[in-house]
Amino acid sequence: MLTRHIQNHLKRLLNRTRLAAVAALLFWTTPLGAAAAEKIAVFPEVPYDGYIVYESLIVFWAAIIGLIVIIRMKLREIERTQALGADRQDKDAPLLE
Amino acid sequence: MNCPRLRDWLEERYDLDGIKGIARGKFVPEHRHDIWYYTGGITLFLFLLQFLTGMLMAFYYVPHVDFAYKSIIEIVTKLRMGWFFKSLHHWGAQMAILFLFVHLFGTLLMKSYRKPRELVWVTGFILLGISIFFGLSGYLLLWDERAFAAVRVATGGAGAFPVVGGFIKAFLRGSIDVTGETLLRFYAFHVAILPLVTLALIGLHLLFVQFHGMSVPPSLEKEKLREVPFFPNVFYKDLMIWLVVLGVVVTLAVLFPPEIGVKADPLAPPPENIKPEWYFLFLLQTLKLFPGSILGMNGETIAILTVSGAILFFFLIPFLDRKSGRGERSPLFTWIGIFYLIYFLVMTAVGFLS
Repeated sequence: MLTRHIQNHLKRLLNRTRLAAVAALLFWTTPLGAAAAEKIAVFPEVPYDGYIVYESLIVFWAAIIGLIVIIRMKLREIERTQALGADRQDKDAPLLE
Repeated sequence: MNCPRLRDWLEERYDLDGIKGIARGKFVPEHRHDIWYYTGGITLFLFLLQFLTGMLMAFYYVPHVDFAYKSIIEIVTKLRMGWFFKSLHHWGAQMAILFLFVHLFGTLLMKSYRKPRELVWVTGFILLGISIFFGLSGYLLLWDERAFAAVRVATGGAGAFPVVGGFIKAFLRGSIDVTGETLLRFYAFHVAILPLVTLALIGLHLLFVQFHGMSVPPSLEKEKLREVPFFPNVFYKDLMIWLVVLGVVVTLAVLFPPEIGVKADPLAPPPENIKPEWYFLFLLQTLKLFPGSILGMNGETIAILTVSGAILFFFLIPFLDRKSGRGERSPLFTWIGIFYLIYFLVMTAVGFLS
């Protein structure tokens, strides 16, 4: 009795019209849904590659800070020379041949 | 590096001492507002970065309606460091336009446009317009649905201009709608026409700046200001700032690479809640303020005319503000400048949040 009841219920659920509707829905929505869900990777997906990128960024910033420190030291030296007036050309200075 | 033979070879042919003399003869006044001088240098540096990253991507980009989107994906996913250079190009463009606006408003509020520097303002203003068109044309090259919709709206807006609107729209699109023709036109603008015009204008802008020297704000004009040589003092400071800017752009490119949207489909409806790039938001919000019809006339046409009038007035400020040209105080134009700045900021924020 119970088996027949389940069979009837399944028959009703899976009648041809419904199956066709479900199939059509899957056919039409799957590619669209997949395209919408599929995100194009704009950053290395492998964790190791991502780690290398972040590590390189830290090294890059260290290089930038290092360069700024060097340029700042050089600039201070130039300003010190300018304050002393040592950068000005002395027109009366004897030429050394 | 010391190459005496090369130096002698060059000195025999060119007046190197004369060139050195020009470099040594350029002085820059030191004062409390001199930080604004560096915004122009930063913009120049970002332009150079854009040229470099753009050239790298031009090797792989295919300006065809069927392959443009695919080539972008290949640049990002298949090329070694392709994602990085595309992201660097994106963030470099954002920063360049940001610093152009900062430079523009700095120049406006310090009255650096005043006589005899009107042409410095004119060349700079045209450069800003070209940069915005650079942004729009580069945006379409992605050929995704957002770029497609944005260009459709922008070129459609240009079409609302009376008399010449139809011609401008047709010229930009190269067709009735945004199509592969538009893509090809925008590519030509982006990689050939605009770079050439930009280089010429940057050259003129720098020539005028070199000719007139650095402007001093009117409030400090009567003070005795200390002057420092441009080379090497200011140049070294420029270098340090450029390094920091490079670091910021690279960091943004690594941490926030721009997403790639869905491929453009001319038959699909525009995506919901679409927004243009941030520098168009104030324009979009302004256009939204106008109703569809005003006194029986097309509201969009009136809106476009009003915005164009406001931009034209902004462009002509150096010729209208005669008081500051005579060395007198001109608070009216200071307030106008502040109004423009606040309007730009508020409308951009409203556009961003709405």
